[in-house]
Amino acid sequence: MKTDVLHAVRLARLDLTLVARNTTVLFNVLLLPLLMAWMFTGAQGGAEVAGVPGGAFVLTGVPGLMLGFAVFINLVNSFTARREELVLKRLRGGQPSALAVMAGSGLGALALLLGQMVLLGIWLHRTEGVLPANVPLILLAAVLGVIVFGLLAAAFSGLTPNAEMAQITVLPVLMVMLLGAPIAFPLDVLPGPLGTVSGLLPVTPVVEMMRTGFLGADHFSSGGEALSTAGQWVAALPSIGIMVVWIGVTGLLARWLFRWEPRHG
Amino acid sequence: MRTPQLADTAGAAPHGLDDVIEVGGLRQKYGDFEAVRGISFTVPRGEVFALLGTNGAGKTTTMEVLEGFTPATDGTVRVLGLDPVRQQRELRPRVGIMLQEGGFLGDLTVAETVDLWKGLSEDAGRPVTLSGGAELPGRLTLMGRVRGVDRATMGALELVGLESKARVKVKQLSGGQKRRLDLALAVLSAPEVLFLDEPTTGMDPEARRTTWKVIEDLRDAGTSVLLTTHYLEEAERLATRLAIMHEGRIHTHGTVEEVVATSGDRIAFRLPGTAWTFGDLPVLDGVTPVLTYAGGGDGTAARSVTASSTASSTVPSTGPFTEVVYTLTGADTETRAHAALRPLMAWADGRGAALERLAVRRGTLEDVFMRVVGEQR
Ligand SMILES: Nc1ncnc2c1ncn2[C@@H]1O[C@H](COP(=O)(O)OP(=O)(O)OP(=O)(O)O)[C@@H](O)[C@H]1O
Ligand SMILES: [Mg+2]
Repeated sequence: MKTDVLHAVRLARLDLTLVARNTTVLFNVLLLPLLMAWMFTGAQGGAEVAGVPGGAFVLTGVPGLMLGFAVFINLVNSFTARREELVLKRLRGGQPSALAVMAGSGLGALALLLGQMVLLGIWLHRTEGVLPANVPLILLAAVLGVIVFGLLAAAFSGLTPNAEMAQITVLPVLMVMLLGAPIAFPLDVLPGPLGTVSGLLPVTPVVEMMRTGFLGADHFSSGGEALSTAGQWVAALPSIGIMVVWIGVTGLLARWLFRWEPRHG
Repeated sequence: MRTPQLADTAGAAPHGLDDVIEVGGLRQKYGDFEAVRGISFTVPRGEVFALLGTNGAGKTTTMEVLEGFTPATDGTVRVLGLDPVRQQRELRPRVGIMLQEGGFLGDLTVAETVDLWKGLSEDAGRPVTLSGGAELPGRLTLMGRVRGVDRATMGALELVGLESKARVKVKQLSGGQKRRLDLALAVLSAPEVLFLDEPTTGMDPEARRTTWKVIEDLRDAGTSVLLTTHYLEEAERLATRLAIMHEGRIHTHGTVEEVVATSGDRIAFRLPGTAWTFGDLPVLDGVTPVLTYAGGGDGTAARSVTASSTASSTVPSTGPFTEVVYTLTGADTETRAHAALRPLMAWADGRGAALERLAVRRGTLEDVFMRVVGEQR
């Protein structure tokens, strides 16, 4: 176990080194979500959304977007490319366990996400004067989000024949993430059943936990009343439950679809 | 204190007592296709075992089962007494693997790749002991340190002659240089068992020799090696035992001497002129010859002619023959070859035939290989 942790940390460091050396990835992973955040805040103008200023609403929703880019797309790309280049096979032939290899990529992605969120936090403080109310809740949301989307990325890489195709296979998930989550607008603008479905998709609980954690108010319902720290945790329980179910589902999918080696023939 | 009897047993190192690799009735299927069709062999500790064979024979497949990448479809495999798939965790730190190809991160430098691998070979609480240490003499005179590259990493690179490339990106290496880096990684943590899948393919002759030396040094230090190669001289030089595979089966195996001996001795000569028919040639020691027909001025292609192919009459049975070869197999081939020369000379004298380049020679591993593969075609 200790060895797995050591190996995972080293692999995470490797991932960050490689991201830093690749300008395309750097742009896609780091800059794109921030750029989109800037566009969304501009579009929202100064209007209030769900009881908070539009800018604050969007910026606290953007981590959902980052899950799509820094975690999901990034990992589908890297899993696929490394499988085709036999890097995964080599890693598996070495000492790190399968768990350590996956955890390493997850940790690397988590570090990227948290790095971006720090930038976001600074931005939020500068423009809206908001300081995060519940950092542990934000961290938990980030970790749960990375696990679910890391596993989903592992599963999708199994469906992706090569690194070029990754741009296409990630699209459906990305579309659902962008449209079906309360990133730039609250869920109740979606008609009837769509809102309910969106609430059960994995981005929504993460965004709601983040928003509640940042703003210290209930953003699980559209109410937006202020909550005590304990109240925030209690309100977060259903979301945590949904994420745990998603970990189970995506875990099974990953197990079923993920491949360590390119298919022959 | 050991009893004499026990000492005897240890001295003889009988099979089965100290085999680091055991393969019994191994079968491996990919869908409907059976790539390995029931093979068995053992590798004793401290020996190099060479797996030879045609392309697609199943060598890599066999290796990968032993390395624990996939469970065997059928049969038993043990490495260091452990199940490679189920006991992977215990096994991995004790084996070194050199895959047939690929698997590098092109954006890392050579030194970073070694560092990464060193880090991943390490157990929490137990730093890796590099096999670049004193027990591997030869290339290990540490030169000046390269900036930002630690000595242990440099040592690993010197072992394979890559020290000047330490700070070059892996994607800029040539094919042979990548093989060398691969070797450095495989031996990094001083493994007890080394799997080398075509380790010298793409290497220049000098690098190949360096690699042989590394493998020999490791072997002499007690490492057991399973090696595949298409270079027969490599197998002859490094291996104690070998097996020849073709289409999923082992067709010949044993010590190198045993296997080479199965190819027997050859009496070979050239017979000029076009007047000879197959039936003119003598039977020596009960053996009919194989003739290599040079291809005539009439535009017919070169081909081999044997008694059986002549009988089927699809092959012209008249000259010119470039080479006539009698292969004597079985026991005592040297003496029998010697004895067969007398009737051959008598035949030649009687016919007024001039035997050109008459020679008696030992069969080679290549002869065995060609025969084994030829018999299957
Ligand atoms: N994953 C796979 N799926 C289907 N067939 C495979 C797979 N891997 C190998 N094969 C087939 O199994 C056979 C044995 O392949 P293998 O790679 O073991 O051969 P080899 O002896 O190592 O050959 P070479 O000398 O060319 O490296 C080949 O016919 C190959 O096409
Ligand atoms: Mg092979």
